[in-house]
Amino acid sequence: MINENNYETFFMSYIDNELNAAERVAVEAFVLTEPKYAAALALFEKTKLEAPSIEMEDKIFLYRFPEMEAKLDPDFKKSLYKKEVPFRKTIFTPKIMRASFAIAAMLILFIGFQLFKTNTVIKEKASFVSTNISSTNSKQTQSKILSSKDVNASINNNIVLLSTQPVNKKINATHNNVNESSTTSKIDVEKYSTKNLINSNIISSVESQAPTLVKLHEAQIVASSMEKVATEEEKTMPILPTTYKEIDTEEEDRTINIGMLEIDGAAFRGITRKVSALLKRNKIEKEK
Amino acid sequence: MTDLEFNICVDDYSDGVYRFILKISKNKEDARDIVQTAFEKLWVNREKVETLKAKSYLFTVAYHLMIDQLRKENKIVMTDSFDENANAITQGSSELKQLLLAAINNLNPTQKSLILLKDYEGYSYQEIGEIMQLSESQVKVYLHRARLILKNKLTHLEKMSA
Repeated sequence: MINENNYETFFMSYIDNELNAAERVAVEAFVLTEPKYAAALALFEKTKLEAPSIEMEDKIFLYRFPEMEAKLDPDFKKSLYKKEVPFRKTIFTPKIMRASFAIAAMLILFIGFQLFKTNTVIKEKASFVSTNISSTNSKQTQSKILSSKDVNASINNNIVLLSTQPVNKKINATHNNVNESSTTSKIDVEKYSTKNLINSNIISSVESQAPTLVKLHEAQIVASSMEKVATEEEKTMPILPTTYKEIDTEEEDRTINIGMLEIDGAAFRGITRKVSALLKRNKIEKEK
Repeated sequence: MTDLEFNICVDDYSDGVYRFILKISKNKEDARDIVQTAFEKLWVNREKVETLKAKSYLFTVAYHLMIDQLRKENKIVMTDSFDENANAITQGSSELKQLLLAAINNLNPTQKSLILLKDYEGYSYQEIGEIMQLSESQVKVYLHRARLILKNKLTHLEKMSA
């Protein structure tokens, strides 16, 4: 029921038309009991707004008519569209292009690297072979020289023997010594050649019995052995291709390239000549 | 809903929806756009919406559009602007009514909406609850609070003028 504590709620519901008939009668009766409640209800009624008459402009656009919903004939609509172009499969899409470029670049780099690697290996091998050859040649020449030295030593010994022992014995001894020394060196060609030479020379020496001739034989043996060594070196050495470029220093339009700079050759030569002439002149003057 | 029924709805409710939105948003263009959107939605859903519920549907849509608009713009309702608008709108010549309109401006949009829906459109608590997505008791409490604020404001102003 309505009382002093809840009359405001009842009043507000009353002005909002949210009370039923019985409640409305109760409120009206309560107001009549005391005039202050009538004033309170009147004040609450003042808070109620009166609806103003506002009309919306352009209301006409809100209306809908059947004509507005008219639709075009679907066949006519279709005829307006362009004929469909047959679908073409795009092979070179940007993504594929990028990927192919990347793969191509990688392949080029790989091939280039491999070529560079093989070139460097060939060069290294060539240098290694040349050094080995030179070392082996030096070793061979040393051994050959040693063998020739043995031969010489034997010959020298024989020379000593020549002076003391009879001629026939001496010849045999020298033959034996020479054979031994040649077998140790394992150079058959040299052996035979030296043998022949020694034979011929010894025969001549035997005939003349002069010690000076023996010395000549010795020199000849050494020279022949050296020649043999040289021919063998030539055989073992690899023949490397060499290219020769003719440099025409008198060419008029000769250019000198220093990095990215391109300098006229004639002008440069002229400047250098002038500078050198000046320097010479200064030097002369200083000396004076 | 037929085309004819829709056009009747335009005749009957467009002004009410427009007034309701204009009173809160204080912008004619915004109010017009919101009303147009609300009717557009009704047209699109005309087969689903019953003719009897078209009014509450329009108010519901318009109210939510307005709340979205206010949130987007973070609009603060200025008292001065309302006074200018109040002069344009024929609310009544009495000084008390103008004071009341000034007092309404100090309410928050929810309270203002409740007052407007109740007083202008005559909706019940239940209908207001449906439009504003509030319970009946919530509508009652919020509306009573708004009325008390207005009553206190009016008594204060009356004392000041006296």
